[in-house]
Amino acid sequence: MSANIIGVYQYADDLLDAAGRLKASGFDEIELMSPIPLHGVEKVLGPKKSVLRRFALFGAIVGGVGGFLMAALSAIVFILPTSGRPIVPWPPFLIITFETTILLGTLATLIGFFFSANLPAWKDRPYLPAFSDNRFGVHVGCDEDAAEKVEKIMLDAGAEKVERVKT
Amino acid sequence: MSERGQPSYQEVNDAVLPTMTTFTWRYWTALSISVTVMIFGFFAPWWYQLFVGVGAAGMSRAAYWGTYLGNFIFWIGLSHSGTLLSAVLHITQSDWRKSIYRSAEAMTLFSLITAAFYVMVHLGRLWFVHWTVPIPNVMGLWPNFRSPLMFDVMAITTYLTASSIFIYMGSVPDFATVRDNATGLRRKIYAIMCFGWRGTDREWHRLGWAYTFFAVLVIPLAVSVHSIVSWDFALSIVPGLHHTIFAPYFVCGAIFSGTAGIVTVMYFLRKYFHFERYITEKHFNNLGKLLLLLSLIWSYINMLELFTGWFSGSSFEIEALRFKLFGFYAPLFWEMIAFCAFLPLVLFSEKIRTNFRLMLWISIAINIGMFTERFLIVATTQPRKFLPDAFSFYMPSLVEIAITIGSFAVFTTLFLVFVKVFPSMSMYEVKETLNLPTRKGART
Repeated sequence: MSANIIGVYQYADDLLDAAGRLKASGFDEIELMSPIPLHGVEKVLGPKKSVLRRFALFGAIVGGVGGFLMAALSAIVFILPTSGRPIVPWPPFLIITFETTILLGTLATLIGFFFSANLPAWKDRPYLPAFSDNRFGVHVGCDEDAAEKVEKIMLDAGAEKVERVKT
Repeated sequence: MSERGQPSYQEVNDAVLPTMTTFTWRYWTALSISVTVMIFGFFAPWWYQLFVGVGAAGMSRAAYWGTYLGNFIFWIGLSHSGTLLSAVLHITQSDWRKSIYRSAEAMTLFSLITAAFYVMVHLGRLWFVHWTVPIPNVMGLWPNFRSPLMFDVMAITTYLTASSIFIYMGSVPDFATVRDNATGLRRKIYAIMCFGWRGTDREWHRLGWAYTFFAVLVIPLAVSVHSIVSWDFALSIVPGLHHTIFAPYFVCGAIFSGTAGIVTVMYFLRKYFHFERYITEKHFNNLGKLLLLLSLIWSYINMLELFTGWFSGSSFEIEALRFKLFGFYAPLFWEMIAFCAFLPLVLFSEKIRTNFRLMLWISIAINIGMFTERFLIVATTQPRKFLPDAFSFYMPSLVEIAITIGSFAVFTTLFLVFVKVFPSMSMYEVKETLNLPTRKGART
């Protein structure tokens, strides 16, 4: 059986200290929760990588190619000769291409954000409302046997309180 | 209050959250007036125009474009306040942006919606709007993507989408704060709106990246949007419009009027939501400097536009110029110059830049000037096209005047609803500007 333990901190440096100690003790399933983005998390928990940029790039490429094709195919399907100008001209269609590049790039970034941040999440997850106000929290998922050890590490690092939560 | 004179995290929440739930008589009065004006000033005349035809507007032969398109440029211009400025300041890591950007981005969104309404009003036969979408229709027609009007459709759709995403994603952590401080149905609604945000290190990391990507994508987009709007005019061969300077002229004018719009909104937010501790002299001072710079650039481009018209030696251009500078609408032209070129020069004085009330009046005057500029672009050019037998005169009809007034009510209504749904100041970003609570800091 696994346990979910949350430590509540008043100070950000205590939180990072707790995270460092937990990491050093071999716990991997560590989440930090805070009302603002914290600097220095990567130093403690290791660098983070995300697939977000790939989503953005993929969306932008699809948008660019798709936008140009949309303009070009519309012109080919409904040929509208104007003076001696080409049916598929580059300069105006590049503007359409640019706009659709941004449009799909933005939408893909949004999807990438949801995908890589595990959102939306409608089920209850370990969390306390104080973390959006003025408290910092660490959540550790561990075996029941290791729960006491986790609680002790959290309290030693200055936790105001430690809670076991059900998910 | 913390010991360093800064507000605490809790105080930031306490300053913002009540603004969403407190409904004063002032708010209800403002909302009632704006909804009434919106219905009777905007939607009723529009309905009338749809019913009797676009002839209800003052447009006629030679002057096919009127106030609707002038207003369209104005609202698109105003939309350049928020998202563009917010994105630029985000990329350049300007912390002072954090307490004002949410409202500025909302301005962008609502200005764009108002502008999009104008496209539909101008269209006349609204029920054919789907013809701008590349799908086969009953006539077998496909849109002509070589036309700047189609550039417009794409640009505005993209800008509206990107701006909506930009403001919404920036608000997600704050929606979580609202959820955590609400009860009952309101809590459930905000729980959905924040997508289950918990503020984990992973979520902040991804949001930071996504937000930066949005900002990077939005900056060239915003520039392209108003350039494209300018090409609606500049790609025609109408004297007075056919200038290569139009794209930078429009973009500069857009940021100019948008920044003035931010100052106006900031003044009211500060005053009525009591954000005195968060929207300070520094914000007005910085925006004042920006307004001054933009005014100087705008004046330079304006002079350049007049000069190239005169220097062309083309009698058509010179007639268009003469009509603009000395014709029927000349008083409006000189009013524009006074409000947008000369008045902002007072912003050289720091005393004026940090005087809230003076800044409010200057910002309003600038936007009156910019509104006039957009009106003159359509009202003084098309009626002076080439040969004198094609000359005409454009005067807005009552329907156009009503819709113009009504559009301000559309914007105000949307904004008044916004301040009760979104936290009008970004709580988490304001908290970021404060000292991080640390044990080391608490000891000193």
